[in-house]
Amino acid sequence: MVDIRSNWRVVLLVVLVVGSLGALFVPGAGPVVGSAPADNATAGGGPTNLQYGLQLSGGTRVRAPVVGLTAENVTLPSDASERSTIATTIADDLDNVSSADVRLRLADSNTSADTVEVFANVTPTQFRGALDAAGLDADSATVRQGVTAATRDEIVETLSNKVNSLGFSGAQVSVQSTVGGDAHYVVVEVPNADLSEVRDLVNSRGQVAVLAYHPVNASAQTNDTVLTNDDIRRVSDARMQEGTFGSVPVVPITLTEEGGASFAEAMQRYGYTSSAGISNCQYPNGTPGDEYCLITTRDSEVVGTYGMGETLASSIERGDFQTTNSFVLQTNSMSEARQIAIDLRAGALPASLDIESGDVYQIDASLAERFKPLSFLTGLIAALAVSLVVYLRYGRAKIAVPMLVTALSEVVILLGFSSLAGLSLNLSHIAGFIAVIGTGVDDLVIIADEVTTEAVSSDRVFQSRFRKAFWIIGGAAATTIVAMSPLAVLSLGDLRGFAIVTILGVLVGVLLTRPAYGDILRYLLTDDN
Amino acid sequence: MPSFDVPEVDFTRYSNRQLAGVPLAVLALALLVLAAWYVLNGTPVSLGLEFTGGTELTIHATSAQAASQDAVRQAFSTPASAVRSIPSRPDTYVATFSSGADASALQSQARSAGYEVVSTTSTSATFGAQSQRFALLGLLGSFVGMAIIVFVLFRTAVPSGAVVLSAFGDIAIPVALMNVFGIELSLGTVAALLMLIGYSVDSDILLTNHVLRRSGSFYESVDRAMKTGVTMTVTSLVAMAVMAVVAYAFGIELLTSIGLVLVFGLATDLMNTYMLNLSLLRWYKFEGVSR
Repeated sequence: MVDIRSNWRVVLLVVLVVGSLGALFVPGAGPVVGSAPADNATAGGGPTNLQYGLQLSGGTRVRAPVVGLTAENVTLPSDASERSTIATTIADDLDNVSSADVRLRLADSNTSADTVEVFANVTPTQFRGALDAAGLDADSATVRQGVTAATRDEIVETLSNKVNSLGFSGAQVSVQSTVGGDAHYVVVEVPNADLSEVRDLVNSRGQVAVLAYHPVNASAQTNDTVLTNDDIRRVSDARMQEGTFGSVPVVPITLTEEGGASFAEAMQRYGYTSSAGISNCQYPNGTPGDEYCLITTRDSEVVGTYGMGETLASSIERGDFQTTNSFVLQTNSMSEARQIAIDLRAGALPASLDIESGDVYQIDASLAERFKPLSFLTGLIAALAVSLVVYLRYGRAKIAVPMLVTALSEVVILLGFSSLAGLSLNLSHIAGFIAVIGTGVDDLVIIADEVTTEAVSSDRVFQSRFRKAFWIIGGAAATTIVAMSPLAVLSLGDLRGFAIVTILGVLVGVLLTRPAYGDILRYLLTDDN
Repeated sequence: MPSFDVPEVDFTRYSNRQLAGVPLAVLALALLVLAAWYVLNGTPVSLGLEFTGGTELTIHATSAQAASQDAVRQAFSTPASAVRSIPSRPDTYVATFSSGADASALQSQARSAGYEVVSTTSTSATFGAQSQRFALLGLLGSFVGMAIIVFVLFRTAVPSGAVVLSAFGDIAIPVALMNVFGIELSLGTVAALLMLIGYSVDSDILLTNHVLRRSGSFYESVDRAMKTGVTMTVTSLVAMAVMAVVAYAFGIELLTSIGLVLVFGLATDLMNTYMLNLSLLRWYKFEGVSR
């Protein structure tokens, strides 16, 4: 009779293997960690619950630093309007920088001092000059490349919103930082997307604005921004709307209370609601000094021009507009309207990503899908080769068969773990699994040789030999873990996955499967059984 | 039925000098190759795209006239620094461009010339330089960590030093062989080298442990350690060789290069463990201790 108490490791091993098989094959036992939806394109179609990374499912990954500079150790005024003046002064001092590209942040619980960020390609010297111009102490400020953590979080959130609203399933956006924290990268991974799509996504800021293009005097026009992303509270779907000039693509929006009030005030002040202002827009052909246009822009590009409608003008005059705050953004084409709706919903990206300083990986889904079974098959063939060598060496089924079963059970447990943790498997993980089979069998060989040097006469002899074997295994395991740990910490591409799988495999092996193999051998070999 | 037995070697026939001479000579040769490479190319190993920066496009020709290396070169307005075909995948080419090329533009050029873009990898020079630094840090860190563990395990200078020296050879010789066989240092091969650091000391630890800590004569201990150790290393070697061959046939380059580097390293390990490490241990056991 097998005593459960002295064989608890074997029992635990069996339980874990069965549990892992369940996690792998029972539909719906998908990841308990992570947010990847069960119906995403990469997980679907396979017989297991394993998640696959880009290399094995196809798609595009872009990893890039954020464009911008941060000045730390500055002291900002607590008054919000003073701060906005500073932002405007800084923006005016720098070429091609608008005040939307300058962000002033007061110190909060996470940061020790106030910061000023500029999200454009300017040199530190230029930035210091601009800080000086705005009356900030540029000498005591430390200017560094990159942006603050708060901005990075904002970028991740906005990009996630964007990829989701564009209908890419299984996309992931995250921040990857180097050890020491001197460099940070935003990583955007989109399954089944092409490079150009992902590029457009991260390159465009999605800053939507409405400009009033109106006369300053009898012969000249000027532009004033009357609405931005921040003034908008709700966005409806893009649609075609019948108007005076036929059907036009529009995005109906609801403004915030302040946004509505300031918009109405600006329209009245610029004269849009007067008889001269209504429906008086021939942009870009009209005569300067007699043009009242509203221009929708996206990232400073004109996507729609239109005049003030009569209904809206009278609604503003009566004060009705200020209670409903509903406005209709017009665009030139339906695709622009859809794009704007997405941009408004996801929010504007505070800064763009510098793809030229990052890296790009794209793989066609058909090739990746081919890699998937082939890489598993490679692992299987390698395992079979190991089996053959072990069988040829020992020629005793009593030793060889449990050895292989144990080594393979390590891989099953790791696969089960990957499936539960929602780990996206890539080629480097598969290499890690093969490495685990290799080290696992090595240690089992040590145990088998140690235990079987002479006939095992009793349980006690077995135990002492097993302990001796374990000293070597423990030492070898420690060196493997130490050798792999730099990779688990350094951000060296996909190698982190490989290192984590190998380290986990060694731990599972040393703590569980290899002692269990010892128990099995003891049961099979000691005389009193 | 063939069987695999570890042969018993009569080490008494060879002097320590003879035994250690071979691996030390190979190590010196390897270091010479690395030094020569450094003088000629500025780096001791050829660095892959992930470390130098650049763009690599894997493209598949959809028409017969596009299926040649010359046609691939002509498809791009930026001159490719290298074009090669993948033997296991018909009509598939890899075109490499130096850093600074625009990956999207290259993709569209390839598409308009009638190629399917199968995969694209692009790394900026700054990103590559950073990866280089990290890879070096990783290799150094993991080697130093391994050395510390070995010294903690044995707590005596000569045997621990012997293990570390032989592990150093296990890394240096495969790196030199990578140069000889034209394998570039990539993230995959760095992983393989790190794995070697962990893998290759197993048999050294086993040998040192048997000699220092077990009863029985030196040669009895060595015989027993060899039986186990050679089995271990050969098993891993076969697994990696099979992986390299199968992955090559399937066209999975990452697994091929990991497999090859490990085959080099494990073969080196057989030599280093049972010639270099063994002779140092024997010297320590018979002469070093009594002094």
